[in-house]
Amino acid sequence: MPPEPLSPDDEPDVAAGELALGFLDGEERAVALRRMLAEPGFAADVERWRMYLSQLFDLWPEAQPPEDLIDRIDASLGGVAPARRGRPFPWPLLAIVSTALAACLLLVVALRPGGPPPGGAPMGPPPITASAPILVAALGDAKAPVAAAFDPTDGSIRVTAAPDAPATRVAQLWVIGGDGVPYPLGLLARDATLLVVPAADRARIAAGATLAISIEPEGGSPTGKPTGPVVATGALAAV
Amino acid sequence: MQRIATDDARAHLASVLIATGSEDRAAFRELYRLTSAKLFGIALRICGDRQAAEDVLHDVYLIIWRRAGAWEPGRASPITWLATIARNRAIDWQRSQRVRRAAPIEDAPDIADSAPDAEAMLMASDGSHTLQDCLRELEGRQSEAIRTAFFDGVTYAELAERRGVPLGTAKSWIRRGLARLKECLDRAA
Repeated sequence: MPPEPLSPDDEPDVAAGELALGFLDGEERAVALRRMLAEPGFAADVERWRMYLSQLFDLWPEAQPPEDLIDRIDASLGGVAPARRGRPFPWPLLAIVSTALAACLLLVVALRPGGPPPGGAPMGPPPITASAPILVAALGDAKAPVAAAFDPTDGSIRVTAAPDAPATRVAQLWVIGGDGVPYPLGLLARDATLLVVPAADRARIAAGATLAISIEPEGGSPTGKPTGPVVATGALAAV
Repeated sequence: MQRIATDDARAHLASVLIATGSEDRAAFRELYRLTSAKLFGIALRICGDRQAAEDVLHDVYLIIWRRAGAWEPGRASPITWLATIARNRAIDWQRSQRVRRAAPIEDAPDIADSAPDAEAMLMASDGSHTLQDCLRELEGRQSEAIRTAFFDGVTYAELAERRGVPLGTAKSWIRRGLARLKECLDRAA
């Protein structure tokens, strides 16, 4: 026998889930949307529901849009591409780096201690749990950020492009953790850079830590601390 | 191996999205190349009409272009953020039509057909099948209603109509389902 409908007071408050799923319509939806603005706890709840439900996006079948749609979209952004700030994004290079990185990762994982090693455990970086997330940061102002991605699996940091530096200077990447002290991570090439952080320093690179780029003399800061202007900073977060 | 490919792709997508936020057109086209099939699949299913889905997808990428700078890496994965925009925009369109939708869509790609494969892949990719597990704990009609709301974008009123039950009744058992689902998800989180 189907249960009787509950009176409104007895029903659980699942408005956040109802809103995230799209069950609500009309006035009920308007009320829930207003709650999102007025109640931070409710907004966080909606966000949590969206995160949970996002697992279902993986099941969503793909479909190919018409081939010329991207050109139509591009055209409606304004006929001429806006003037670039700095260099164009180095896609081909990033793709090469990504491929190389994937190959390295395969090796690292194959050799990673903690797995089922054939024979004795090989020497290597300290084991990191398989669930350690990639961390990313957007450095600099919102209009022209530099993207950085840290992969805890192998300690690599990819940086998309360095900010402009004068001819005899170089951009240097730093991490600033909870102690507020900058530690050098490496020098950045003008285009995409792949840095590998020594195992001992990797613990500093965590969600919430700050990445910073300073302009230094060729060869990097002579003192081990930033000596030139800090041109971009950004916080690391898990993706 | 699956995980490596997934992580790598995710980081690449994050970089592309960040660059799009700085109004990099080349990055935007790359973002489109990586994500348009997924987002079009979402629009097509919810709109139930190819032409409407194309218009919605067009809008979605204009929204993405404008809002990319506001994406916060820590809050949602890039694809979740993008897919949510597409789903919400498609639902807005569908709500503005209002006439149809008492019956299931016939034109759209079928979720059920592709589900077993995709489900297996999902589990293999990162083991995050919590939602699937928790949905299985619900009564059949509850989990089906929740899936239908997610994939078809139907409201309480439309669901009640499809099932031929009073609105209040449909709301009651779906709300209980949602409460149970939430409890299960929070427990697993």
